[in-house]
Amino acid sequence: MNSAKAECGILEQKREHSFWKILGKNLFPASLQSYLIALGAIFSLNFILPRLMPGDPLHAIYGDEALVAMTDEMEAHLIRQFSLDKSWWDQMLAYIMGLLQGDLGFSYYYREQVSQVIMGALPWTLLLAGLALVIATAIGIILGIESGFCRGSSLDRGLVASLMFLGGFPDFFIGILLLLIFAVSLDVLPLSGAASPYAGYEGLAYIFDVLKHLALPLASMVLVQLGGIFLLTRNTMVTLLGESFILTARAKGCPESCIKYSHAGRNSLLPVTTATGMHIPHLITGALFIEIVFSYPGIGSLLNTAIAARDYPLIQGILLIVTVTVLSANFLVDLLYMRLDPRVRYAR
Amino acid sequence: MHVDPIGEISHDPLARIGLLMLAIITLMAIFAPLLSSYSPHDYTGEIFSPPGMDHLLGTDSMGQDIWVRLLYGARTSLVVAGAVALLSSSLSVLVGATAALAGGLYERFCMRIVDAMISLPTIIVMILVAAYLRPSLPLLILLISAFTWPGGARIVRSQVLSLKERMHINAARTFGAGWRHIVSTHIIPDLSPIISALMMQDARRAVFMEAGLAFLGVSDPMVISWGKMMHQALAFTYLDVWQWWLVPTGLALSATLIGISFLSCSLETAMNPRLKKDHARDNVRYG
Repeated sequence: MNSAKAECGILEQKREHSFWKILGKNLFPASLQSYLIALGAIFSLNFILPRLMPGDPLHAIYGDEALVAMTDEMEAHLIRQFSLDKSWWDQMLAYIMGLLQGDLGFSYYYREQVSQVIMGALPWTLLLAGLALVIATAIGIILGIESGFCRGSSLDRGLVASLMFLGGFPDFFIGILLLLIFAVSLDVLPLSGAASPYAGYEGLAYIFDVLKHLALPLASMVLVQLGGIFLLTRNTMVTLLGESFILTARAKGCPESCIKYSHAGRNSLLPVTTATGMHIPHLITGALFIEIVFSYPGIGSLLNTAIAARDYPLIQGILLIVTVTVLSANFLVDLLYMRLDPRVRYAR
Repeated sequence: MHVDPIGEISHDPLARIGLLMLAIITLMAIFAPLLSSYSPHDYTGEIFSPPGMDHLLGTDSMGQDIWVRLLYGARTSLVVAGAVALLSSSLSVLVGATAALAGGLYERFCMRIVDAMISLPTIIVMILVAAYLRPSLPLLILLISAFTWPGGARIVRSQVLSLKERMHINAARTFGAGWRHIVSTHIIPDLSPIISALMMQDARRAVFMEAGLAFLGVSDPMVISWGKMMHQALAFTYLDVWQWWLVPTGLALSATLIGISFLSCSLETAMNPRLKKDHARDNVRYG
């Protein structure tokens, strides 16, 4: 008994070992490389763009509006910090060193470090985008499986037509419509924000309050995301149902629900996972628009303020953080995809 | 693979609805000066006047006629859509086709860049660039094209790769046809349905991005844009003006987007089913 267990452990270890090896071999050259290129491109864009602008780079980095409020002393300090009086090479070193220390610059609008401003807003965005992704994927897959299984029925046709129509709307307009219907006209849900200010709710009441504020932004994001996931699952289902392994399952006498979910449904998860990974940039940018519509205190609203105030360090910081978030999410999806599809793991 | 896209989609009700929507928007854009007696930049009356005979959709917070601005906004959207579709799809074909035909290090280099650009959150990168450059309309078109071509390049490449190995191309090669001949008589014509689908998707993204950027407040102040109108109108949701300012503008934008996506969806179905797998992967929603 014990030896069997030990053997199992060794096998398990071997599998884990080979998994990481294959991960290193297959994933590193392909997707990770392009993620690193993407990240490098963003770094250089952030570095080069302000310095390409005509005139004083300090003006370009901080914007004219900030310099009005700036003292000579501060200006000298900033020039020293960015090494602006030295060569491009030194400037780049200073920039990279600053980034490595987590220094994204100073937001003159909020009078705080950019990294701190962003960290204050990021959890709200992640809450909104993460929940929307989970809910939209779950509903989309279930509806897609059901609809693909009874292809051509009135349920299928109705779902396809309505979700395709819905998917055509731009995200922010769906948000605006929900806002106008539920918050402005019916006045049943809060108009803006993430929690009632100065209400002093605690515990359960606070959670309820947050959920109430989350309802409309979340609903609009789910509505926007749903269509793509649904259509993809449905189309994959339709293709899969024509495969011979489904016929085999039918011949074995598998119950319909077993064929629907365990045979066809499970296999239709693969393309959905890939698509979900490719969706993540859209998901995050979609969240930004929705946040602006609902004044939800996440990265989107921050970006809106930063654009209006021309707070360039803050815009740059947001770009950097969002890129890192998106790329790491993509990477996680790649890992998940390898767990789901053995062919990717053992190929080559 | 020799598909006649126009013949295929003319029987599809989806495509007909899409075409109808786009036709209405296009007519609105073309005949904008005839459909109204005001200029979009003029102060034409009291602010926030409700819809009436004078002003079909009332006036906004600057006293400008909303209907006129809606008409001229259609021009901006369609010009951006058309220009980006042309520019971006030619870039996609150029990079994708040359990568597939040349192969080797050049192909790897191109595709790495394409992969990297696809994984970026495009809109935010564009916001940053636009915030610095404060782009005019032509610059905005260049900017949007610069960020929309990679998705198409990947599709074109995979298609050319598979076309390259087809029987008829091998046959042509055994008869001694040069690459130039093969590309111009076999590959380019076979690519045309994909290119038309690509252009649709690029146009859709362009309309969305133009409106989205303007909605975020990054746009040329002189350009009339639906996104900017919505941005301005959103500040006045506490008044009744949203009924004739915010909603019609949003509906016009949505109609354009839905029209284009219906057309492109039926184009996709009309095309080679073999392509669909790859296509669905890359273009689930925004393309």
